[in-house]
Amino acid sequence: MVFSSIEFLLYFLPIFILVYMVVPQKLKNAVLVLGSMVFYAYGDLRGLGLLAASTAVNYVFARMIRRRAGLVAALAVNIGMLILFKYYQGGAVLPIGISFYTFQIVSYLVDVYRGEYAAERNFLDFAAYVMMFPKLAMGPITGYGELRRQLHRRRCDAECMQDGLKLFILGLCGKVLLADRLALLWQEVQVTGYESISTPLAWIAAVAYSLQLYFDFAGYSVMAMGLGRMLGFKLPENFRQPYMASSMREFYRRWHMSLGNWFCKYVYIPLGGSRRGEIRTVFNLLVVWLLTSLWHGITGNFLVWGMGICLLIILERQVGRLWKFITGDRTGNKVRGLASLVCHAYLLAVVPVTWVCFAVPDLGQLGIYLSRMFGLGSPVAMYVGDWQKALSDYGLLLGAGIVASTPLVRWIYQRLERKWPGMILLAAGFWFCIHRILLQGENPFLYLNF
Amino acid sequence: MRWLKRWSFMIILAITGIVYCGANRDLLEVTHWENLIPVGERNPQEDWMLLQEESSPESMPGEFTLGKGAYGKRLTGETDQTGTEISGTQDGEAGEAQDREAAGAQPPDSDLRPPVTPEEGDGEGVLPETEPEPEPEIVIGRVEEDYFADALFLGDSRTVGLGQYGSLRDIATFYASTGMTIYKIFNAEIVEVPDQQEKITVEEALQHQSFGKVYIMMGINEVGSGTTESFAKAYGEVIARIQELQPEAIIYIEGILKVTKARSDKGDYINNEAIEARNEALSLLADGERIFYLDVNQAVCDEDGGLVKDYTSDGVHLKAKYITLWEEYLKDNAVLIDGVGGGTEEAEAPELSE
Repeated sequence: MVFSSIEFLLYFLPIFILVYMVVPQKLKNAVLVLGSMVFYAYGDLRGLGLLAASTAVNYVFARMIRRRAGLVAALAVNIGMLILFKYYQGGAVLPIGISFYTFQIVSYLVDVYRGEYAAERNFLDFAAYVMMFPKLAMGPITGYGELRRQLHRRRCDAECMQDGLKLFILGLCGKVLLADRLALLWQEVQVTGYESISTPLAWIAAVAYSLQLYFDFAGYSVMAMGLGRMLGFKLPENFRQPYMASSMREFYRRWHMSLGNWFCKYVYIPLGGSRRGEIRTVFNLLVVWLLTSLWHGITGNFLVWGMGICLLIILERQVGRLWKFITGDRTGNKVRGLASLVCHAYLLAVVPVTWVCFAVPDLGQLGIYLSRMFGLGSPVAMYVGDWQKALSDYGLLLGAGIVASTPLVRWIYQRLERKWPGMILLAAGFWFCIHRILLQGENPFLYLNF
Repeated sequence: MRWLKRWSFMIILAITGIVYCGANRDLLEVTHWENLIPVGERNPQEDWMLLQEESSPESMPGEFTLGKGAYGKRLTGETDQTGTEISGTQDGEAGEAQDREAAGAQPPDSDLRPPVTPEEGDGEGVLPETEPEPEPEIVIGRVEEDYFADALFLGDSRTVGLGQYGSLRDIATFYASTGMTIYKIFNAEIVEVPDQQEKITVEEALQHQSFGKVYIMMGINEVGSGTTESFAKAYGEVIARIQELQPEAIIYIEGILKVTKARSDKGDYINNEAIEARNEALSLLADGERIFYLDVNQAVCDEDGGLVKDYTSDGVHLKAKYITLWEEYLKDNAVLIDGVGGGTEEAEAPELSE
């Protein structure tokens, strides 16, 4: 079940919340596990067995781990399963959320081994941690340490419920009103064929895709946070206006933060982080980004994407070092004035190119797209005015997306959330989203209107 | 009254919900139960079509009374005078097979080029004045772009693609829009008028402007709704109305472009079998005099019977690069009646290509 579907919004969520609010504190985790299983089974009945087995096995593993060998064996089982399903699935559908819940379980096992906290004794509490539906399908990847206390005891009242719901609606609007509609421009470009688009359209579509991806994923993460809040949990923030960053390094400290933090804590730091000299740091970054690429997918384009970003990050480090050396500035990395403007421009120019690499799985096609972006080669059957048409069709949406990528939305939300006009706007937003979902037949990617 | 403040947002949400449901009752009524069926088994287009068709009883299944026989009758006795192939007429499959060969070959030096030049055609076809109604000479062959100067294309997103990325973009007229169906073509406000903000309907536009040829390709959006018969009936009615408004025009029924085999095998209502059945029915609407059926699929399909995989990214639409195949097919299979490509007599006679 996806959050932005009628069955979730009008059936599952109201019924679940009602039951959840009514049952006593002691039963809430049981209700949460049960509800999450229903949520999961609806989309992937066969995957539910794997999820349940994984939960049970790792509950036992964590309680048994004493020595390093035990940890290694437990990790091998989990990561082996992930690799098995992700890379050797043989045409079968990837179990929903497996990349996310496997990473959470790995973090749990490692933390238990390191003694950060004791293994959970109560199976139901552990199952609630792994399976909780707000973060089950797409994260945020949350460490057990962050949720441990809340799993045992949490506040869950009218205020939490409504604040969470408002946050959820904010995310839903991003997903349904921006991401799903911006997706159509990218789809149009696919239908036309990359060899036939003008250079301006190649850029406009790349920007549209960048915004679509952001509102899709960030919208989902905000919905997850909102749902967590409704249930009394505080899930971590996953996006912090990434397009406001001024370097690639900063961008990935603001984009899918929970994944970045995971790689930092369980790969980068154990390898020595940046404390073992520049060469070792570069190597560590390479390892992290190689794994990040593989985590996203095994097609070649993800490697191009990840390695491209890694290269930029390494270059940025060197430029930063040079800058410090020249100016003698040792106070920090913060650049101001004109330099900061240049940095922003650089990031905004480079990010859409990296997202194109992310989006186009076929390397030949990717080459064609990039060559259109940079005006190389000659287009076939191009329609010269294509980009003006795209702007007239999607200009407003693109503008809305760009504005919504700034801190403005958050600023307004925080000020109006508790006031009448804000609440009316959010409520209207919810029903408008419902309306859009009904109209587009729920799945915008089917594009049933030819 | 403390609970009122405590639950203020839920109350607002409920009130706006009631307002919304009140205003959109029909939308919710039709769709909300269907939505409980898991994705994949559901057919949203059908829900949507139900909404569209509730107000158009003529398209409801079961009310179809005019059988194939009615069209057959019109065609009975019609033989192909010139001996060139006219697909869609009932004068045998041989002609159609020949036609297929013709499209397959397509070389400029093909002997399938009409045997007469327009000038010769005029001389040969028009008999002395003593004959009150000379049999019109119908020739099918290769034409150049100027043939399409007075051509109108009606269609859905596929024709939008033709109008945007084809070489006929600046030559022909296109009244096409994404999601267009045969049921709503006349009432769709999609025609731009110079110096006017609002668009007019296709029917209004056809009342004001005359065309020598009308090419129609619609049907992919309709595959999920109605029956082949109800669809063909609605299609026939559209053609009849076009003939009323454009009595001089040659009408081309372009067969619905098929989808790729992969898309067809996906298991929803969009499949090549359904498209083939409907094309079959459409081909019977042709009369070989003013209405002709064009099997465009010949130009873009492979041995699997579907759209060639490489020609499309979504399995449904031709990529811009391959639109030319469609155009070439239209150029190779153009009809000339007495050496004239439709239109009024004053209309300039387009020349057959050398």
